[in-house]
Amino acid sequence: MTLQHDGIDLEDFWQAIEVCYEQSWTDGLPVVPPTEPLVARMLAAGPWAENDVLLFEPARNVSVTAYKAAVNAVMAGCRPEYFPVVGAALQAVGDPAFELHGPATSTGGAALMVIVNGPVRRRLGIHGGANLLGPGFRANATIGRALRLVLLNCLGCQPGVLDKSTQGWPGKYSLCFAEDEESSPWEPLSVARGFKPGQSTVTVFAAESGHNVLSHGTASPEPLLALFADAMAGLGSLSPGRSVIVLAPEHADHLKRARWNRARTQAWLYEHAWRSLADLKRTGKTEPAFFTNPQLLQWLYRHADGGVPSITPDVDTAERVAAQDESVRVHRGLGPEDILLCVGGGQAGGHSSFFPSWSRGRSVPFVTKEVPS
Amino acid sequence: MMRILDPTIRAAGIPVTAQRAPRPAHLTGVTVGLLANGKSNGMVLLDRIADLLRERRGIGEVVRLSKTNASVPLTEEQAEPLIKQCAVVVTAIGD
Repeated sequence: MTLQHDGIDLEDFWQAIEVCYEQSWTDGLPVVPPTEPLVARMLAAGPWAENDVLLFEPARNVSVTAYKAAVNAVMAGCRPEYFPVVGAALQAVGDPAFELHGPATSTGGAALMVIVNGPVRRRLGIHGGANLLGPGFRANATIGRALRLVLLNCLGCQPGVLDKSTQGWPGKYSLCFAEDEESSPWEPLSVARGFKPGQSTVTVFAAESGHNVLSHGTASPEPLLALFADAMAGLGSLSPGRSVIVLAPEHADHLKRARWNRARTQAWLYEHAWRSLADLKRTGKTEPAFFTNPQLLQWLYRHADGGVPSITPDVDTAERVAAQDESVRVHRGLGPEDILLCVGGGQAGGHSSFFPSWSRGRSVPFVTKEVPS
Repeated sequence: MMRILDPTIRAAGIPVTAQRAPRPAHLTGVTVGLLANGKSNGMVLLDRIADLLRERRGIGEVVRLSKTNASVPLTEEQAEPLIKQCAVVVTAIGD
């Protein structure tokens, strides 16, 4: 296949790397210069024609074609066989429900987390074991990086231009890993999300930086999960948004031995990840402006028994919330299903992680898409 | 010799489907739309701007519209009051 597209003619490979910097085409690390043969091989490894739109971003009115995705995937260092995963992840973040414009541009500085399930993990070497969130694995490093390069190069998300992250975090370079399904006490995440066993999927999430949950001292579910609930209830990131928990195999095994299923674990965490309304008030987390947003209102305004009263924002809402019993529990998220549980990490060590959603509001949902074979 | 391909969409050109609206010659008596982008305080800022426009330019009616979600563009249907009634629309983000 020969591609006829705009480009820059150069003498050698090293000059090409420097030109990519000069053009502001990189994330700060060197990129693989996207030559025509490399891009053609990348494109040929997926099921898409070059003009197929993988992602449409309505706020910018921009369509990202398979061709542009392939150029960026080459630059990220992807092998061609990774391209179906990159494409599926772009389709996932491009799902209208994901509302990409927010996490791509907000001061919150979200990373696009990609969790991979199914046989494609083994086939491509997408890692779910020791140091799965860290360096050392080409597929993890480059698939997530390809998404970021698409945001930078195709959606205008240059730092300080459309990406207004106050701080950002290193997960914005790349945040892609496989679930260690073999160490999970439960069905794979993809099956819990409605896909068939044996289907390969990507699940995406707009994540703030992770919080280590450390425990080597208990094998009982309640004391163990209390540590997660405590991290989830941290006031700094407490919100009505969703949560991702990556359980270390050791922690997952404690739940397996105690026969705790996924739903019970989610319910327990939701029930225990809360702060009192008094805590929120004393830390400025009940801004009057919140009361114009129905979801934030639903989160803050509860009956003392935890029930959700029927209330719509009106002129008296701020006063009604202010007058509420201050012992009312404000939970992280709006229900147990807002807590995504997956398993990953080395076989040794009691280190799990909790990732809060981007945004002080409801943020965006989890989206799962099948990886085309 | 080698050619590297352009990864951006800037070069390809973002399609422009809308025409620029004609600029009004003055604002006296003109109906002005206020479009808050969905963040908490956008309308606070816009109301102040409308006060100043009323005071300094003698604008007429004001049509206020707040998006419910900052991440999602308005649909044409949602924008209809602004399109039909306003000669000028001011939009703002306020967090």
